[in-house]
Amino acid sequence: MRRYHAFDPPEYVDWSPDPETMLEFSRAIERDPERARRIADLTAQRRLEIYAGLLRFRLHDIALKRWVRQGVISKAWLGTGEEATTIGPVHALERGGPNGDVVGPMIRNAGACHEMGMPVADMLRGYLATEDSPNRGRDLHVGGRRYGIVTPISMVGALAAVIAGYGLGFRKLGTKRLALTWVGDGATKAGEVHEAFNLAATQRLPVIFIIQNNQVALGTRLEEHHAADGFAELGRLYGATGAPFDGNNVLDAYAATHWAAEICRAGEGPVFLAAETFRMSGHATHDEKEARELFSEEEFASWGRRDPIGCYGAWLVNGRLNLETGAQCEPGAATGVNSAALEEVEARVTEEVESAAAEALAGRARMPRPESAVEGVYGTWPESGRQEKDRF
Amino acid sequence: MALIAYREALNQALREEMRRDPDVFLMGEEVGAYQGAYKISQGLLEEFGEWRVRDVPIAELGFTGLGVGAAMVGLRPVIEFMTWSFALLAIDGIVNAAAKMRYMSGGQFKIPITFRGPSGAANQLAATHSQALEAWYAHVPGLKVVAPATARDAKGLLKTAIRDDDPVVFLEGEILYATKDEVPEDDEFLLPLGVAEVKRPGKDVTVVAHSRPLHTALRAAETLEREDGISVEVIDPRTLRPMDVDSILDSVRRTNRCVIVEEGWPVCGIGAQIVDDIQREAFDFLDAPIARVTGADAPQPYARNLEQLAFPQAEYVVRAVRQVCYRG
Repeated sequence: MRRYHAFDPPEYVDWSPDPETMLEFSRAIERDPERARRIADLTAQRRLEIYAGLLRFRLHDIALKRWVRQGVISKAWLGTGEEATTIGPVHALERGGPNGDVVGPMIRNAGACHEMGMPVADMLRGYLATEDSPNRGRDLHVGGRRYGIVTPISMVGALAAVIAGYGLGFRKLGTKRLALTWVGDGATKAGEVHEAFNLAATQRLPVIFIIQNNQVALGTRLEEHHAADGFAELGRLYGATGAPFDGNNVLDAYAATHWAAEICRAGEGPVFLAAETFRMSGHATHDEKEARELFSEEEFASWGRRDPIGCYGAWLVNGRLNLETGAQCEPGAATGVNSAALEEVEARVTEEVESAAAEALAGRARMPRPESAVEGVYGTWPESGRQEKDRF
Repeated sequence: MALIAYREALNQALREEMRRDPDVFLMGEEVGAYQGAYKISQGLLEEFGEWRVRDVPIAELGFTGLGVGAAMVGLRPVIEFMTWSFALLAIDGIVNAAAKMRYMSGGQFKIPITFRGPSGAANQLAATHSQALEAWYAHVPGLKVVAPATARDAKGLLKTAIRDDDPVVFLEGEILYATKDEVPEDDEFLLPLGVAEVKRPGKDVTVVAHSRPLHTALRAAETLEREDGISVEVIDPRTLRPMDVDSILDSVRRTNRCVIVEEGWPVCGIGAQIVDDIQREAFDFLDAPIARVTGADAPQPYARNLEQLAFPQAEYVVRAVRQVCYRG
């Protein structure tokens, strides 16, 4: 895959698969026969869709980074290095628009939006805050009701409770739908998150909580805000099911979530999944320099070798499936065909994101009407009530 | 019509709305098996079952968020706070999630949720359990705020609140639960939000009061009529946002004098907003500066004598009315 010298973390620029890291990657998905079976069931087409999803996320972030450099927007919150934790789970859901499963992404899970069906151009319009953006310029945390995406509440942890409420609603309505959200390692320290976890567990709600441990909360390293040993035990502590997954391995993320979804649909939720991953960029684009100082060069190098897209691509190329024919083959027997298949996906997604950026930028002048600032605060308002907005 | 208690009126409203619409459900601490800390949900668990009368742990912020999520799915949650003082723990969910979701999502999500529970002082519950915080909520765009003073208003307004598509903060008078009033038994007895009611007509001075202080004001009006021959018009806004400012202005334009009574603290209170509305729109009609009677500017004391002094008393209202009438 193409690397972007101007935008990628340095560890990604000359990336090539490290044999030991690739062994770890394979071991992670073969360790549990239950997960291995779910992964084996993925057709060539679905494997390529997951690859496309990862790339779409990375390229969406690069488009934003480019805009920051160009002064189009002031800053952006990226998922660099953590793409697998978002993309794998979304591909394990029943994506049925307004009647399917629902996700509540943090801003660092933006990739969930396009994988749930929101056009990348709409996501980018969210940053530009144009009249035609999903939230009409009210917030850059975009959601889309018709795609099953909750508009994120930017208070970290708030979504855990709201998503549990979706689970309550689904359960009450007697549907088999489920709701999923990601909770950062930092947000696990908010009281509301504990309340939400317990409320979901005591009511057995169909909710998947993914603890996305990227080892840092803004500028505070994990060990400074978390004294326990990881998050893998969380489910048990709440009397619910739980399991860890490799947050840089999109297949492990997919398989763990696929398993968790079955548990939820059987009325045995919630499920707590703990993903170990690493933030390769800053909290946002404004503090990338400070972020590099939080961890050693060795830590960046180690996590850099585990680039979720590079690793997954290398696994697909050398894998046991011919991605063109869908037929099984000896490992490494279809590298040429498979590389070509990935290149084709990459060309298509690159074109998609570039067009989306151009399309969004072309509408940059379509800013919300001034009077819309005070519109839509309420659904209904009585005639007898004083209209404070008239003073605007 | 039947003479029933404020508590029973709320119970009727909940029961009728839950029968009418299967999407309506009640959630809160002790609302089910215990039938409500103040017995507002008496009999509801038995009739509607545990999925429509949800007991939840002590987690105000968490179950507020759950309610918002359930509303986003399309249900109509009624969230009970054991008291509004406990809702301080949930205020992030009320202000940042419930009130803003419609706006922030560009209108994609509506949040038809009612937050309700007892507000204000009862008997010696002291500083952390006795607060009248309606001004906090009325400050927030995206919330509607209702504070009924009578059983009739409580029933009609709660039913309307539950049917409303916006988040409604519904503050019940904790001390009013046992007070009785003639209440229509009609299932479709609805009172509109944003409409004040003149509770006692008069011509010399307008007293504006909601919730418990309405009754204080009415007692003061009787005293003033009897002792001073002052004819007091008492008007209850009933909903604080939207506020029926026009009805208050109409009254003030007739009486030319105004006293505003509230249980909350004086600084940035509900009355301060009403004073602002009056001075901007009816300044030339005023014959005296507007007076306010509020809770004392201190945490609520426990000692009975201090507690009495700290809340608006009829004699304080009498004094304020005499002052704006330049008497005594």
